[in-house]
Amino acid sequence: MRRKVFLILGILLALVPLGLLTESPAWGEWDNDYYQKVLGFVPEGIKNSFHHETFMSDYSLKGVNDVAGYYLSALVGLVLIYVLYFILMKIFRAKKDGKISV
Amino acid sequence: MHIPDGYISPTSVAVTYAVALPLWVYGLKKLKKTLNEETLPLIGALSAISFVIMMFNIPIPGGTSGHAVGAVLIAILFGPWVGFISVSLVLLIQAVVFGDGGISTLAINSLSMAFAGSFCGYYMFELLKGKKYAPFVSGWFGIVCSACLISFVLGIQSIFWTHNGHPLYFPFDLKTAFVALVGSHMLFFGVAEGIFTQLVYGYIRGKKLSEVKHEA
Repeated sequence: MRRKVFLILGILLALVPLGLLTESPAWGEWDNDYYQKVLGFVPEGIKNSFHHETFMSDYSLKGVNDVAGYYLSALVGLVLIYVLYFILMKIFRAKKDGKISV
Repeated sequence: MHIPDGYISPTSVAVTYAVALPLWVYGLKKLKKTLNEETLPLIGALSAISFVIMMFNIPIPGGTSGHAVGAVLIAILFGPWVGFISVSLVLLIQAVVFGDGGISTLAINSLSMAFAGSFCGYYMFELLKGKKYAPFVSGWFGIVCSACLISFVLGIQSIFWTHNGHPLYFPFDLKTAFVALVGSHMLFFGVAEGIFTQLVYGYIRGKKLSEVKHEA
């Protein structure tokens, strides 16, 4: 089963740039310009919301083309997921043994 | 369905975090029982599949797009609590590293895409157990339930929080949010989630199904 799951993950990773084919945003995830255009104003809460710029915002990397940025984002996501599970497993173990062993 | 920061009121943020926190704590305890050297590669890969499947944006008529989530697949393989925690972790990474979905809205995004998706999909699967099409229907049902919860929370914002007649947060009403989100998930993204769940589940289960431990 593990081999099959890895195969599916590999295929999806390879095909991931297909997700870039559409420019359409998701419903309810618009830029502020959209509200200005549709409502004539931007709701206060949305305008003044906490906004954090990340180095890979929107699954892209500055100075890297979209496809490469998308591939990189998928890989970074994959690595971070494994890192998180690994840390969780260590914490679970440490709690059980009463000490942290790395 | 990744609600960004600023779309829901601070009260909504507080309420959703108050609901999500104990569920996360309980879910982590459930994950603790399941996670070991044997299962980590598999749970990690399924979570990564969820992460990647959400990057496949599907355009639909009306100028918007959406995607499958992959929560139901994890829920029917490892139980709904593991599905809930796995997809919550994926959403956490998406919010913090990729700016997809807000930090203040991580709770509502997790409650809908991860919790409602996993549990509704899981129980639908149990209900249809043995039926050939069970994974498809469960996948469809799970993500449609996620859309119901999201549209409810978005839709009530303009009822309770306005200033001089102007909505302060998400501006569209319940009906609009419901039609747009639940409708699009019933017609398109639910079908995508259903096909994805059916294909992957059918492919991987094989004869080694006993490898998978149900921790419901």
